[in-house]
Amino acid sequence: MNKKRFLAMLLAGAMMLGLAACGGGSTETPSGGETVSGNSETPSGEGKTVKVGLICIGDENDQGYTYNFIRGKEAVTEKLAAKGITVDWQVKWNIGEDSSCEEANIELAEAGCDLIINNSYGFEPFMLKVAPDYPEIEFIACTNQASWNDGLDNTHNAFANIYEGRYLAGVVAGMKLQEMIDNGEITAEEAVIGYVGAYSFAEVISGFTAYYLGAKSVCPSVTMKVQFVGSWSDASEEGNAAQALCDAGCVMISQHSDNTTPATAAQNNGAFHTGYNNDMISVAPDASLIGTRIDWSVYFEYAIEAVANGEEFAQDWCHGMDEGAVVMTPLNEDIAAEGTAEKLAEVEEQIRSGELQVFDTSTFTVKGEPLTTCMALDTDGDFVADSEEAVFNGAFHESAFQSAPYFTVQIDGIEWLNSAY
Amino acid sequence: MHESHTPLIRLAKRDGMPKGQVWAIRGASFLAAILISALIFLLMGHNPFGAFGTMVGGSLGKPTAIRQTVKIAVPLLGTALAIAPCFKMRFWNIGAEGQITAGAVGASYFALFWADKLPGPMLLVVMAVAGAICGGLWALVPAFFKAKWGTNETLFTLMMNYIMIGVVKWLQGGPWEGRPGSQIIPQFDSAAVLPKVLGVHCGWIIVLILTVAMFFYMKYTKQGYEIAVIGESENTARYAGMNVGRIIMRTMFLSGAIAGLVGFIVASGADNTLYSGVAAGVGFTAITVAWLAQLNPFAMVGISVLLAVLDKGADTLQTQLSVPASISDIITGIFLFCMLGCEFFINYRLILRGGHKEVAES
Repeated sequence: MNKKRFLAMLLAGAMMLGLAACGGGSTETPSGGETVSGNSETPSGEGKTVKVGLICIGDENDQGYTYNFIRGKEAVTEKLAAKGITVDWQVKWNIGEDSSCEEANIELAEAGCDLIINNSYGFEPFMLKVAPDYPEIEFIACTNQASWNDGLDNTHNAFANIYEGRYLAGVVAGMKLQEMIDNGEITAEEAVIGYVGAYSFAEVISGFTAYYLGAKSVCPSVTMKVQFVGSWSDASEEGNAAQALCDAGCVMISQHSDNTTPATAAQNNGAFHTGYNNDMISVAPDASLIGTRIDWSVYFEYAIEAVANGEEFAQDWCHGMDEGAVVMTPLNEDIAAEGTAEKLAEVEEQIRSGELQVFDTSTFTVKGEPLTTCMALDTDGDFVADSEEAVFNGAFHESAFQSAPYFTVQIDGIEWLNSAY
Repeated sequence: MHESHTPLIRLAKRDGMPKGQVWAIRGASFLAAILISALIFLLMGHNPFGAFGTMVGGSLGKPTAIRQTVKIAVPLLGTALAIAPCFKMRFWNIGAEGQITAGAVGASYFALFWADKLPGPMLLVVMAVAGAICGGLWALVPAFFKAKWGTNETLFTLMMNYIMIGVVKWLQGGPWEGRPGSQIIPQFDSAAVLPKVLGVHCGWIIVLILTVAMFFYMKYTKQGYEIAVIGESENTARYAGMNVGRIIMRTMFLSGAIAGLVGFIVASGADNTLYSGVAAGVGFTAITVAWLAQLNPFAMVGISVLLAVLDKGADTLQTQLSVPASISDIITGIFLFCMLGCEFFINYRLILRGGHKEVAES
């Protein structure tokens, strides 16, 4: 009995091994087939195929940060197809900011990518370990900042002037607040904004300061409270922080974090809200006024096209409304203050033309004094900026010396409720 | 009459199965895993041969792939070696995760603040020793409570994991943070990075040496014998005059020290920095490795390489055939399930109702 069973097992085993052995030879056919079909689509004209790797910290389910990259990816694929360039995407989802990121970069490099895009700040140090081994491949670290002094020709940084979008969202919020004051719904002192921030990180500080300045430009009595949650994405903590801010008397909520919970918390408390990365009107139709996001397809188009044509492209790229890299999500006309759309168009044009500087030093003070000096770059690696004066011509110039934001000043009117993060 | 009371399937312990048969069952279970995985690939609309080919090619096909596979296997093997003596003693140390992290913290302290004060090789040695001591001390805490007051080591070691991971999160955002607000500790100075041998950080040499050392320690030393006796029966050990509490603490310190050394290897060799996910679940996966290898250090080498191949292969699968990452996890799960499950059939036999003959036979 036992022997029979044993034999049967052996037989089954031998069959499987045989099958597996056969399989070894035919491995390449399915994956190879796809590439061929990709090429065959564009025989007409100057059809080119670029293999682009994309490493993401999340996936489309976050409906925020990574989802916004996916939108950029899809948009650029269409745009470039119109130009006769086929993009063959190789995407790695849910990669951690650790050595698995290094492995993902190696994996994509070995898979033959011409260009590899890392979508999160913490990916850069791991990308930099791989980049020297593949000088013919271009590496991009979005939102990070080492390329200008890492000594490598094939590394790139990119960001967008999201503070411009923040400023505009602030204008929308400020107009709403001013309308509430004018209607007698709140007093001038009660115009308090609550801001849910991820960490006390330059990108976040720059964003909420721009937002506050936008609001203040149309509602002079506004003040702001900032609550940090200590995570880029923690739905329940973000909701709790927004709730705490509403309890503390904030009537307008905004956020620099990935989830929609601050929007729903604002709606539940009868407050208003402006969002980030994604249109949040569908989750909070009575609260969400507008949102702002980066349109990554603008940069992707620029970089991928350069690679397709074998051209060099900037190692440090940062544009905003001038190139359409920062866009506003639809305005919620039902609840926004009257005349918001017109005002928005006007301010947007001023920013685009350079007439209006977001960080105009005449519009804010630091400990009662105007800001007269602030360095932009850290050259000696101690994480304290020591070179390139960013304050000149009456304004602080954000993202002028490197794409990643460097505004970290605490201005008057903004109260940090916690700074542990 | 009697038949109706017999359940359809009964289990009976079996002992002394011939070696050939044991291996046949293991082989068969491995093949069963391949078969089930193939079915999953088919359901997902992929050619299973192509899929397996991609996995093997992606993990072992190229020198770069092999290097990455080895890199995944190193901490698995090291940690399996670390927990082996504890499990032999039937002390359920599921705190390797925290001990690895503690070791990484100890090593990182010297990497961050002593890199310019110590000469290169000396720095690495100090880091390794610091890692081992920190991991050992972290493991000693639950061992002390177990020895003194008989606390439950399973819960205790598990909880210690979260404390240590919390400590690293605090370090990341607080005293050791690099760029303000970034939550990222700067990359180590190059002097604090383990040198590469054959393209992989030399941690692989360290764990291979440890493998041999652990084999001898468990098999041929007095301490190894004491561990085995306690594992069989604490009372016997006591009757033989062994100080059980002391041996528990000593063994746990050793276990934690090896895990701490793994923490040093990962932080210095692979990540070149410290972050809260430094252990990356290795502390738990290593339990599977240790069990599958039946606590035999040499078998652990094979098992950890196998898991690394699955891991790396699944990764390639995701890139090349755009199989979702969750499918890769399912495949790994199927392999582990089949391989662990087959041990059941080695230890027990199924007796079907009416299988009288068979019972009589054995």
